[in-house]
Amino acid sequence: MSRSGTKLNLQADSWLIRIFLTLFIGFMALFILGPLLWLAIRAFVTGWTFPNLLPDGLTFKWWKVVADDGSLLEAIKNSLIISPIVVIISAIICLPAAYAFSRYEFFGRKTFLIGIFAANAFPKIGLFATIATLFYTLNLMGTVLGVIIIQVLGTVIFMTWIPAASFSAVPRNLEDAARDAGASKLRVFWDITLRLAMPGILVALVMSFLSAFDEAQGTYLVGVPTIYTMPTKMYALVLNYPVQISAVFSLLLAIPSVILISLARKQIIGGQLAEGFQIK
Amino acid sequence: MAISKEVTVVESLAVKKTARLSLLGFFMALPPVLVILTFIGGPILLALAFSLGFVSGPNRIVALIGQEIYPKNHWWGTFDAYKSIFHDSRFPGDLRATLEITVVATTLVIFMALGMAIYQRIIGGRLASILVALSLVPLFVPVVISAFALRTFYDGTGFFKTIFHQVGITFPTLTMTNNAVTIGVIWTSLPFAILMISSGLQSVPDALIETAQDAGAGFMRIVATIMIPLAFVPIVIATTFTAIGIMGSFTIPYFLGSNQPTMLGVEISNFFGPYNRPQHSIVMAFVIFAAASGIGFFYIWANIRSAKQSGRI
Repeated sequence: MSRSGTKLNLQADSWLIRIFLTLFIGFMALFILGPLLWLAIRAFVTGWTFPNLLPDGLTFKWWKVVADDGSLLEAIKNSLIISPIVVIISAIICLPAAYAFSRYEFFGRKTFLIGIFAANAFPKIGLFATIATLFYTLNLMGTVLGVIIIQVLGTVIFMTWIPAASFSAVPRNLEDAARDAGASKLRVFWDITLRLAMPGILVALVMSFLSAFDEAQGTYLVGVPTIYTMPTKMYALVLNYPVQISAVFSLLLAIPSVILISLARKQIIGGQLAEGFQIK
Repeated sequence: MAISKEVTVVESLAVKKTARLSLLGFFMALPPVLVILTFIGGPILLALAFSLGFVSGPNRIVALIGQEIYPKNHWWGTFDAYKSIFHDSRFPGDLRATLEITVVATTLVIFMALGMAIYQRIIGGRLASILVALSLVPLFVPVVISAFALRTFYDGTGFFKTIFHQVGITFPTLTMTNNAVTIGVIWTSLPFAILMISSGLQSVPDALIETAQDAGAGFMRIVATIMIPLAFVPIVIATTFTAIGIMGSFTIPYFLGSNQPTMLGVEISNFFGPYNRPQHSIVMAFVIFAAASGIGFFYIWANIRSAKQSGRI
């Protein structure tokens, strides 16, 4: 869009491109949004008989069923308690490291960098199986602590790299100027460095929260059958409950993602997320 | 004399300060590394030993609980668990399905992402923005929901079935086939690939593109000789992350795939949990690791290359 001034040779047959593009957008809209709408409608219908084009009737009763089901509420409660704990632990572990990677030269920096990235070069499910093996020994299978550890692991990359990129982006001369004007080190860090790096840190917090909140594979392997979070409860729901209940639960589960990503949309699309995946 | 002495003192103080700071940096950077060593590095080594039949020490409990454990019979262990998996009639089909889905879906995802990102970068406009915004929607949706939504959309009473039924055509049921898994992993992988690639393309200077245009270079020429080489590292990162993510996926094939053959992610989980054969589960995990290590190598190589180019390491 910023390139609107640019005109390429392509412009000559642009009406053809335009038609093709419109068709492609139609296809993508169906491909991406179709399944979501198809599911969302089910949260409000009494039933849907194949091959009718419209559902049998509308109702809110499935929402009440979910609200009255203790095990479903338990899963919601678990998710809402565990995810914030994961984010806090991850922030305590990773944010100082993010600052260090951005500002200090130290022994082993390169090894640390490659190590953190190598950890992400393993296919998730295989990794979870190896971790679960250790968790048997440490008696962490089926415990809240085990689930927290699994979920923290998924947040390390977000919480280290996105803030590191933002700390690096804070202009040094601004900090120097503040120091020259007599501000204390702590004050400079608090009022300038941290404040300017805040958007990146917020994106990291959002991504970490969602990564923890949505984590299903590892939580399933380690937590089930004693601890169910919302995503892992979905596995059981899909197989054992009416489809409408799963639809209601899906909508509830999607609320935090939609709210948080909408708030941080600008930064995420603006490249903060992509920045975080390149070694700085 | 006195001044120069003072300067030396100040300088030596400065040197000392950087040394102290870097020690501080080291300890600040240590916690996430320790977490990864303890809960990723350690378990991988233990699991490797377990897969080779080392069933004592930290692996004692899992070996006690699990069934069909092959303990070591040489000092270095045994390949019995590996042999038993490779002779399992289901395994070759599962491995092939995993690799096929990974290759096909990754190719399609990168192709689509490149196309959309390049179009948005060079031509732009409202339609391009709508397209990119649409493709980012899956980022908002937890994977369990995506898998479930796709499952109902493509199943026996799904959208296309219903629509085509009205005109008397029987649309194939995709759910419970590996085509549905391919669709599912493309659906979930698209946003990250687009974000990565379009952020890489943003860093290509406008001036370069304009100069090439003025010199008469066509669309394809600009893409092939300017945009792709300059955004090479983000493209490699997008490709490797997509491939590794697909290879290690569980939820999508679990909800959408056939029972047999299925992706190894589902088998790893099944063997670990319901079948209670953890050693076999771990063996399959290492098969996936081996397949992914080649891809992971490219990811790290591309990153180091980019970091070296900009003089960061």
